[in-house]
Amino acid sequence: MTRTGRKSWRQWTPAAVAAGAVGAAALVAPFSANAAVDLPDKTAAEVLALVQEKDVDAFSGTVEQSSNLGLPDLSALGAAGGGMSPGGGTTGTNNDDGGEPSPASAAMELITGSHSAQVFVNGPDQARLQVLDPLEERNVVRNGDDLWYYNSDENEAFHATLEDHEKPDGATSAPNDVAAHFLEKIDPSTEVTVGSDRMVAGRAVYDLVLTPRSTETLVGSVSIAVDGETGLPLGVTVAAAGSSDPAFNSTFTDISYEEPSADLFAFTPPEGATVTEVDPGEHKAEHQREHADKEAAAAEKPTVVGEGWDAVVIVPAGQQEIPPELMQLSTQVNGGQLLSTALVNVLITDDGRILAGSVTVERLQAVASGQ
Amino acid sequence: MSSSTTAAAPRKSAGGRFLASELSVLFRRRRTWALLAALAAIPVLIAVAVRLSSGPSPGRGPAFLDQVSQNGLFVAVVATIVAIPLFLPLTVGVVAGDTVAGEASTGTLRYLLMSPVARGRLLAVKYVGAVVFCLAATFTVAIVGTLMGALLFPVGPVTLLSGTSIGVPEALLRIALVCLYVTLSLLGLCAVGLFMSTLTDVPVGAMAATVVASVVSQVVGQLPQLEWIHPWLLTQYWLGFADLLRDPIVWDSFAANALLQAGYVVVFGALAYGRFSTKDVLA
Repeated sequence: MTRTGRKSWRQWTPAAVAAGAVGAAALVAPFSANAAVDLPDKTAAEVLALVQEKDVDAFSGTVEQSSNLGLPDLSALGAAGGGMSPGGGTTGTNNDDGGEPSPASAAMELITGSHSAQVFVNGPDQARLQVLDPLEERNVVRNGDDLWYYNSDENEAFHATLEDHEKPDGATSAPNDVAAHFLEKIDPSTEVTVGSDRMVAGRAVYDLVLTPRSTETLVGSVSIAVDGETGLPLGVTVAAAGSSDPAFNSTFTDISYEEPSADLFAFTPPEGATVTEVDPGEHKAEHQREHADKEAAAAEKPTVVGEGWDAVVIVPAGQQEIPPELMQLSTQVNGGQLLSTALVNVLITDDGRILAGSVTVERLQAVASGQ
Repeated sequence: MSSSTTAAAPRKSAGGRFLASELSVLFRRRRTWALLAALAAIPVLIAVAVRLSSGPSPGRGPAFLDQVSQNGLFVAVVATIVAIPLFLPLTVGVVAGDTVAGEASTGTLRYLLMSPVARGRLLAVKYVGAVVFCLAATFTVAIVGTLMGALLFPVGPVTLLSGTSIGVPEALLRIALVCLYVTLSLLGLCAVGLFMSTLTDVPVGAMAATVVASVVSQVVGQLPQLEWIHPWLLTQYWLGFADLLRDPIVWDSFAANALLQAGYVVVFGALAYGRFSTKDVLA
């Protein structure tokens, strides 16, 4: 070997070894976390019983949520101006339209975007959800009868006092709440099986798979990771029919069953924040900034046609507005405008009704014309 | 290699002395002070601009800017946010890119290598010097920001992102943590700069290449089409320091950032070592 040849070989050896070691570590680490998991075998019914009999009063953890609904990134359009990626060169410059995001688009953003959140739960009436946006945070805190929402970007807080009979809202979009929503749907139209055991957030879990037997739904399968010990659902993955990629995923990456500190639930709005008192008796959106004509329309309640996976919600005309940025994404179909995603179809009929469900367009059209 | 291990004991103190002299040379250079002064100008400009204007409305400009007029401590945070994408990488690129190439271009590298210090150790000392500059740079921004804020605005309890208020001492502690986080974020870039510096005898080339590396990394980080590569980007967690301003503190990004930067330091450190240990020093 020539001198230069040996030299260039020597020159890059340390780098090659280092790169190899780093690469190997990066590749091996995720697999070792998934090393053999063997829980005692259980039937689907037994796992379901485990979920229903779960005896978890307090827990805290980190939730990663991602969705791939086939919609453009709504966080760029929507609410909190949090569409900036962490490596961003445009540091923290928010969308400067200055316009108030509508509550509907804020909710849409929360469901459709990718988020990281901290969840703290202590008993049935103390809960806190922190949505960790880049350089911002949104908080929902429930402490007894007090319900707080705080948004660090606008530095505004909303407070509501819950009535005694009101049940916890549960709309935290944490995996256990999402799982509860799907578990309610279990009926003869659902095939329930148990997949192979996995590790989620460092816990051995049963993989409960719900497969709708209906052919009219958009949902292909729902996979719920059930903690093998405590029965708490730790993750939910929804795949659209005919697709193996998850369309929606919400999973704990980290969970602790220790009681969270009481300070977390004692929320006082910071000095200088705008505090809005919300009367839970009225519709929150109405209270804030909606039109009076809604109250007349509110007499008509949304109805549900069909049940289980095929259910379609019909909102009478004039009750709910679709945010204009969403309407831009809709397409003209027979009978109205269609807003189509991987998991949900929404049909806005020409006479103003809104039909929504995890069902095919054909079913929405059939329901719309059948009314 | 074998000669350096047998004679490690006497060289250890030599390495320590070498580090001390490297740092004193670095911090006696006018250029170093000019870089730090440029960084210090950022919080000064922000504070004065906010003081003179009527105050921005929430949701416009860099995050936290609207809070500056109510609480001067936010000057430090806003200045850090502004400095991260360009100004900090620029100054760090200048210092890290100069480490070896600067000595080579002035012809002093030859004399350095005559001293009883192994090349690997020389490289390590150069790297540590650049890291100390990172620390100085981030703390300059934060300390000048805090002082300017205290001078021009009221200082009081700070509202964290979670809506919790903390007292001034804890707020200062959080700002110091942010500085450590930002310094940590720059370790990988320092290693990249060190490697670039071993490739050339023209310091400006190494500096430019280092700054370009950070800019390219940030641009790629903006492209959703390249999402699969994002977890590997040098700049991926640069703005993750916001997690230190939550209650409770979320340490995930700190840990992820440390791991990522360590990977960069190992790979580019090894590249730099491989290149430098076999480099022909002609000038």
